[in-house]
Amino acid sequence: MPPNPFQPSARPYKPRAAVWRFENRHMQHARRGRSLAVSLLALGLTLGAGARAQDSTGPAPTWSLSGFGTLGAVHSSEPNADYTASVLKSSGAGATRRWSMDVDSRLGMQLDLAFDKRWSAVLQVVSEQDLNNSYRPRVEWANVKYQATPELALRVGRIALPMFLSAEYRKVGYVYPWVRPPVEGYGALPFTSSDGVDANYRWSLGPVRNTTQVFYGHADEPLIAPMRAYGRRVTGLANIADWGALSVRASVIGVEATTTLGQALFDALRAAGPAGTALAQAYAIDHKHLHVASIGVNYDPGRWFLMAEASRTHSDSLLGATRSAYVSAGWRHGDFTPYATWSRVAAAGPTSTPGLPLAGLPPALARQAAVLNAGLNALLATIPQQDSASVGLRWDLHADMALKLQYDRVRPHGGSRGTLINQTPGFESGGTAHVASVALDFVY
Amino acid sequence: MGVLKRSRHALAGLALAAAALAPAQAADLVVIVSARSPVTMLRADQVAAIFLGQSARFPDGQEAVPVDQRIGSPLRDEFYARVASKTPALLKAWWSKMVFTGRGQPPAEAPDSAAVRRRVADNPDTVGYIERAALDASVRPVLVVQ
Repeated sequence: MPPNPFQPSARPYKPRAAVWRFENRHMQHARRGRSLAVSLLALGLTLGAGARAQDSTGPAPTWSLSGFGTLGAVHSSEPNADYTASVLKSSGAGATRRWSMDVDSRLGMQLDLAFDKRWSAVLQVVSEQDLNNSYRPRVEWANVKYQATPELALRVGRIALPMFLSAEYRKVGYVYPWVRPPVEGYGALPFTSSDGVDANYRWSLGPVRNTTQVFYGHADEPLIAPMRAYGRRVTGLANIADWGALSVRASVIGVEATTTLGQALFDALRAAGPAGTALAQAYAIDHKHLHVASIGVNYDPGRWFLMAEASRTHSDSLLGATRSAYVSAGWRHGDFTPYATWSRVAAAGPTSTPGLPLAGLPPALARQAAVLNAGLNALLATIPQQDSASVGLRWDLHADMALKLQYDRVRPHGGSRGTLINQTPGFESGGTAHVASVALDFVY
Repeated sequence: MGVLKRSRHALAGLALAAAALAPAQAADLVVIVSARSPVTMLRADQVAAIFLGQSARFPDGQEAVPVDQRIGSPLRDEFYARVASKTPALLKAWWSKMVFTGRGQPPAEAPDSAAVRRRVADNPDTVGYIERAALDASVRPVLVVQ
């Protein structure tokens, strides 16, 4: 695909999970959906130019329109797999094409309505490449907020999951220093938002200002059409504590996940007798609990910043259990912010299984069983294990715009493809992918 | 991001004249509340929390509504550099984070110190900042920003 200068921008950030990676790898879909994105960009620029009106003290409903975007290009040296920012994308840089604009490019628009001092509503729509290689806009936020007191806010509707330091705004590249948040840490959940209710309460403990958030809802994430992933009883608790330049965020999220991905494999396993049924029960994502816990620290006195975050995920399914962590630091020198990041994700459980016992089976059946075992292990091998080291430079070239250059040395290991997707049969775990990225982030 | 009509007042001229008398010195900034407000003193971190949308109350529990100088004004850049250690770009990133996560909108803006002072004087729940030279009896300084 030739680079399209009008391609919208974005900061890909959807969680990755083994299944999605598996299906992603096996399905390359036709390239389409660009024109919509271009129109959206045009619309955004037109409206964004002058449309903003708000006065919170006015009696009538007031509104404001704002937006954000990223125009990015990425090059990867790995010819046998695609580097991308999210597993919920259909392609990236490397195997599909050396240079890709789909990794980070994105456009988002947001409408804020304030009905009075207490009631307000927000609608945020984001266009970026998805699993079907479409830029079909997707509703990220759509909720009504009731500010019960200056400290307590209640929301009903679609709310982004408040995992990690940057998850809620990971699509707004302008907000953070990097081209994208570390890919190893931000992929734990196959859901990025949930439809439900939440409460945010601000409180102080001496000099420490806290915001505590609890939420409950359900999620329905489109995968490769017509497949979807369902999350029931999405439950979470998050707390941000700010003390001067120090900010600490802790969160735990639980969800009961179900998806039809990999169903053919699990149906075949179930047909293979009690051993197969037990394997299907152990690994199929069918009403399986998934937990993600994370703690992140950000120290930002202005001239420099230091961020570190650690998380763990656990699921009794082929999503497996992982531990991830990153450390990043940078300093601000006028309009320039050089930074460096080290990041890793590792499996905290088995990433392979002996599968169906083959001993004693007639040769024909043994061959079929071996195929099923290979399929299951291919799924488990998508549990990410990867280290990466990055250096980059952010240049604030305008009040609303930042240009970023970043180099990542990405090393999937332990038989895993890490966070890469679309690997070819020639792919070997343990190699190094050199990734170069350039991104222009803007807000309006 | 409210927009108030730009208006010039005699006192703004006075402030300019004062600034002209001491051209080598950065203008002293004062954080102000209405003369009718019971608030007498604020710390820099309390002011920063109110202007960054982290706190919606004065220390005594009364609701606090911040009013900003217009975007791009040197006074505003100096204020945020001193109370919050934020450059204009960092401040923009901060509010982008707040807005795009539905957590809040930046304070309303007034075009100049006279307009800020008038708005603060008329509203006991409002807090603003102006050059020290623009002070008058309608408002009370609660913090001198160094």
